[in-house]
Amino acid sequence: MSNTDLEDDLRGTFERAAASVPQAVDLTERATTGARRAQRRTWVVSGAAAVAVAAIAVAGFGLAGSRNQPTQPPVATGQAAASASATPQGVSAQTVAGTWRPVQMVGAKTLQAARPDDPVLVFKADGTWTGSDGCNGLQGTYSIGQRGAFSATSGPQHLVGCENVPHTGVLHAAKRIAVSADTLQFFGADGRQLASYARAR
Amino acid sequence: MEFEEYVSARGQELVRLGFTVSGDYQRAEDLAQIALMQAFRSWRKVRNADDPHHYVRRILVNEYLSMTRRRSFTEAPTADLDPQRTVPDHATRVANSDDLWRALATLSARERVVLVLRYYQDLDDQTIADMLGIKPSSVRATASRALASLRRRPAYSGAGESNRVDERLS
Repeated sequence: MSNTDLEDDLRGTFERAAASVPQAVDLTERATTGARRAQRRTWVVSGAAAVAVAAIAVAGFGLAGSRNQPTQPPVATGQAAASASATPQGVSAQTVAGTWRPVQMVGAKTLQAARPDDPVLVFKADGTWTGSDGCNGLQGTYSIGQRGAFSATSGPQHLVGCENVPHTGVLHAAKRIAVSADTLQFFGADGRQLASYARAR
Repeated sequence: MEFEEYVSARGQELVRLGFTVSGDYQRAEDLAQIALMQAFRSWRKVRNADDPHHYVRRILVNEYLSMTRRRSFTEAPTADLDPQRTVPDHATRVANSDDLWRALATLSARERVVLVLRYYQDLDDQTIADMLGIKPSSVRATASRALASLRRRPAYSGAGESNRVDERLS
């Protein structure tokens, strides 16, 4: 058989086979329905992927931020502008142990005023703290978790009125803590700095 | 041209093309549907192509080749199955009764596609090459190999009794 004969046979065979195919029904509807379903599935998958990427980015940002040791305490003028991204890693009861003097505190404008007592905070390595608001003795406990997570409780105290330094308010509101050289910073739940202290010599 | 108009005018041709390349009616419908689905999703681009039908045929044959490369292919999402619709025995019976048709089933997917595009769709080798993303020389080589393989079949080498439908009916 020549090539031409075979090619003619192929044409005939294909034509007969094609002609034997019955009319397909609902092709338009099936194609559009299938495409829309596939598109919906793509959106769902894309949405899930976007959420996953965002979660990874947030987690990564948090980890990256936690590695950044603050080299300088924030400038304490007016509203505190520093954020918790400056929180260092490796904060522990040992690193905060010592006596700290307030340098800046949100809402407190008279930190340098004369008071009966020295308004300091004293952290002990055993998880307790003591101090003075300038007029009354203070005490309580504290804990430091991973990446500087911080919480504190306070015990009963006298309420002698003076230019009280609101250490207790800072300790209760603080969710994160950072220690760098001789600076101690407290940050609120929104990441903004609540107060900074300098280590007393 | 709107998508619905295109499907109305050329949809059945796609099913036929699917049948000639796959030899399976159900798969032919699947192939046509997948090609149309993909075309629908970028219909603006397809409609503005020089030859929209060529574009959709290209999707279909390449989908078939991809399908045959998979160990087990998964079906694309389809409309709900209609229990009234059945695979027609007639088409399969007619096609299977033809020796040449059965011989085509022994070819590789690419060989068969090249023959279909050449002898059923009447496309030249350059167009087939563009469609499959291969060189024209590869198209010629593939077609030559496929034809040689078909010629070696008993019915076409002069040996054995012909089983062609048209010859048996005449």
